[in-house]
Amino acid sequence: MGNPFPRWTNWLPVQIVICLGALGTVVTAWVWYTWTPKYTRVGYQPNQPIPFDHTIHAGQVGMDCRYCHSFVENSAHSNVPNAQVCWNCHGPGKVKSDSPKLEPLRQAMDTSNSNYTGAPIRWVQIHETPDYAYFNHSAHVNRGVSCVECHGKVNEMPVVYHAKPLSMGFCLDCHRNVESHLRPLDEITNLDWEAHDLDKDQFYAYLAEKTGKPADDLKEADKNKELNARLVGARLKEMMNVNPPQDCAACHR
Amino acid sequence: MRWFFLILTLFAVMLAVGYGARGTKFSKPPFELFPDMDRQYKVKYQKPSEFFEDGSGARRPVVGTIPMGYQAPLNKKDTPVGSEYYRSGLFGDFYGDGFPEEVKVDAALLDHGRRRFQIYCTPCHGESGNGQGVVAKYWLIPPTANLVDPRVKALPDGQIFWTITHGKGLMGPYSGAVPIADRWAITAYVRALQGASGN
Repeated sequence: MGNPFPRWTNWLPVQIVICLGALGTVVTAWVWYTWTPKYTRVGYQPNQPIPFDHTIHAGQVGMDCRYCHSFVENSAHSNVPNAQVCWNCHGPGKVKSDSPKLEPLRQAMDTSNSNYTGAPIRWVQIHETPDYAYFNHSAHVNRGVSCVECHGKVNEMPVVYHAKPLSMGFCLDCHRNVESHLRPLDEITNLDWEAHDLDKDQFYAYLAEKTGKPADDLKEADKNKELNARLVGARLKEMMNVNPPQDCAACHR
Repeated sequence: MRWFFLILTLFAVMLAVGYGARGTKFSKPPFELFPDMDRQYKVKYQKPSEFFEDGSGARRPVVGTIPMGYQAPLNKKDTPVGSEYYRSGLFGDFYGDGFPEEVKVDAALLDHGRRRFQIYCTPCHGESGNGQGVVAKYWLIPPTANLVDPRVKALPDGQIFWTITHGKGLMGPYSGAVPIADRWAITAYVRALQGASGN
């Protein structure tokens, strides 16, 4: 009685294992690369009802972020401005009031407009944490975390896009290593701020004034060190007692 | 085997091309694996809501109720918090002068006023209040008020507060963006600018 299986079938199990392994590698690589907010969220750039250009407003004109996002220091939510805020500059007889791009604003505000509805402008939210994560803007901007840490350089974006992943890992990276992400409170909305712009004397005077504690020891200790983001952050953390929580209940209620 | 790897390579290339690199710009809403967890059916800040008839998630307080964190109204006409002068800058039909008793004028108030002024007022009125802000520089609109002019210096405090609240001429109202306490701080800072101008 002969062997019913031809000789090449001896290699079949090995070949199947190799093929499955190769397939598994490709699928794993694809999942690793795309199943993350670094892929699913970064780059999200929706079309807005009015093509508002941050490079003009926050860049060229030099308006502060808080002119429009006015309650970021007081509220968990950083508001988009109501139409009245736009209207204060773009109302009749004012800046670029005839621009066709502003039609949705006129529909919301201009009672003499034939298309007047009075309904708010439906801006599309770009940065949106899941509803089970409770991010508080005021807690961050009042401790020295700048807008730029999470939103990127919005003053250089003609159309705003999602620049950072804002995943849980992204939050924890900063909460575990907050020294690299703090700055004096006056520079929160200065998105181009660099730590080496700071004047050393002024910085330690600021620390002392802000906290009411003497900063002379620190100044003496840092005498020969260059003022970089990490040193500035470390001193701010120490003096202002910044202790970012890492327990679940900090963000998930 | 050879065929398998050829097809697998094609498949991998298709995935790479079809899904693209991280950070590529796109305009469709991001994919969410469990949208019912991520987007719960509840009222959220500045979001529409199907639950209410007018479609707005933001609600006005029910008549006769007081939001949490506010004081009880002093009388029936009052909205919560503070005296009538503190809220309006008016005594009856006349502008009041001087700061209401709720406002403590000190260095901290001026400092706070300076920060607020530099956010909300400088685009038009300029950093020193002289009416030469960036709007005057780039766009031709009727001249912005020079806040350090003797004319403005002579106005009562209540009128400056009232003007920030309601606007004047081409200036729009700032009551929505600047809370009452901040408006008084700005008023105090405008007085400081006038004092420093020497006009």
